[in-house]
Amino acid sequence: MILWGVRGAFHHRLDTRPAQLARFLLGGALAHDLVLAPLVVLAGVALARTVRGRWRAPVQVALFVSATLALFTYPALRGYGRALHNPTSLPHDYAANLAIVIGAVVLAVAAGAIVSANRR
Amino acid sequence: MVRSSPVTAAVDRFTTDPDLPLRQGAFQSPLRDERIAAWLGAALGLLFTTCFVTGLFSHLHQHPLSWLPVPARPAGLYRFAQGLHVASGIASLPVLVAKLWVVWPRFLSFPPGRRAADAVERLGVLALVTGGIFMVFSGVANIAQWYPWRFSFTAAHYWTAWITAGALVAHAGAKAPIAVRAMRPRRRSARRPALADADPVLHTSAEGPHDGLDRRGFLRTVAGAAGVLTLTTAGQTLPGLRRLALLAPRDPADRPVNRSARNAGVLEAAAASTYRLRIEGRVARPLTLTLDDILAFPAHSAGLPIACVEGWSYSARWTGPRLRDLLDAAGAAAGAAVNVESLEQRSPYRVAFVNHFQAHDPDTLLATHLDGAPLTPDHGAPVRLIGPDRPGVNQTKWVTRVVVL
Repeated sequence: MILWGVRGAFHHRLDTRPAQLARFLLGGALAHDLVLAPLVVLAGVALARTVRGRWRAPVQVALFVSATLALFTYPALRGYGRALHNPTSLPHDYAANLAIVIGAVVLAVAAGAIVSANRR
Repeated sequence: MVRSSPVTAAVDRFTTDPDLPLRQGAFQSPLRDERIAAWLGAALGLLFTTCFVTGLFSHLHQHPLSWLPVPARPAGLYRFAQGLHVASGIASLPVLVAKLWVVWPRFLSFPPGRRAADAVERLGVLALVTGGIFMVFSGVANIAQWYPWRFSFTAAHYWTAWITAGALVAHAGAKAPIAVRAMRPRRRSARRPALADADPVLHTSAEGPHDGLDRRGFLRTVAGAAGVLTLTTAGQTLPGLRRLALLAPRDPADRPVNRSARNAGVLEAAAASTYRLRIEGRVARPLTLTLDDILAFPAHSAGLPIACVEGWSYSARWTGPRLRDLLDAAGAAAGAAVNVESLEQRSPYRVAFVNHFQAHDPDTLLATHLDGAPLTPDHGAPVRLIGPDRPGVNQTKWVTRVVVL
């Protein structure tokens, strides 16, 4: 299967531009290893130093969910796809909507943490 | 042995010296645990497999095989499959980043292989990681219409999918015994093997007291993140979730289009009084029709979804002559397939193939009206193709020629 994919990528090289595709493939892994992962490690260290006890778990939950939401929304936030003559592409205010969703997540996590703390 | 080389010695020192930041074990978290890795891997395997199968279905629609014609029914099959494809891809984002985080120390372990088998496994994992990141990244970028590359998205996404799927099969096969053992439910009293024995690199376990999330909490968080992403995007295809689709790149209530008439360069040609629809190819009587000629054919209405490859869709009522009535008028053979061509000049989707099932389906129309109103230029005026179980890019707009094959 891997060889079939590699063969296809080279066979259709006008469409796939194998050299550029390879740069994107390795670039994605390097972006993860050199940018995203160290940032997460730093965030983890900061979290471990600042938040202790029973508040750490809810903070971890809120941070993870918010971060993945932001990661997904990034292209829409930057508005790369706001084609000049197509208002139906990216119709929302994504910064405001992302803030609303993250706000709801933080509220829900905080409420859950308070309820479980009271139950104990 | 290579271990004695100065480079290896330096790296050995660098990764084992407790005073240096890159030492092995420096990134310890109790959540970098074998059971978590196994559960995340299983979830990711399921999501990626769903994406691969639905992706192949979409590919088959766009690159038809003569011996495997796609059916015209159920009419919403493509809508379902492609909605699932994009939703699974979106949901895999948090699972992928969590999985990479859990197993990351393994990527940094050194030396990369002590046996040939280790090197082969590492290459396979490299293919899986680079492929998986690329598939999710390129898919997410594509649905937001962000193209930071010059290759064709569909070609690159398709061929990389084979590489990724192959690496996934190899990885799942290699890890199945460990994963099954790690995922097996254990009685609380049962003694668990020390993870340090099972995995000298991950070296940690979510067992025992520690601050922050435990294993179950971490897995629930990942599932919750996937759930929130799904809830806030799936409304682009599921009418019931439309009001929650705050982060979706399209709003079906707008009746979105992917290419406007202006961007396609057809504004003038589509509105001109010289517009003609030609039915030709293997026909007894080639036809050249004006818009009035087309409107003189018996109009038929069909409720059909338009389902984009990018995962958004909406249902609407389309009205216009049946394609098969036009083919009959031109004297085409009963089981003929056709190519439908657009006024649009520079687009890979200028021509769409309609197989014999779909060309003769009673709901396959050359539509002139959408929800009772004449088509707007962006929706393909004066005439567009609309048929059951077809990807949106193959519901050709601004139709000017039907070639019977």
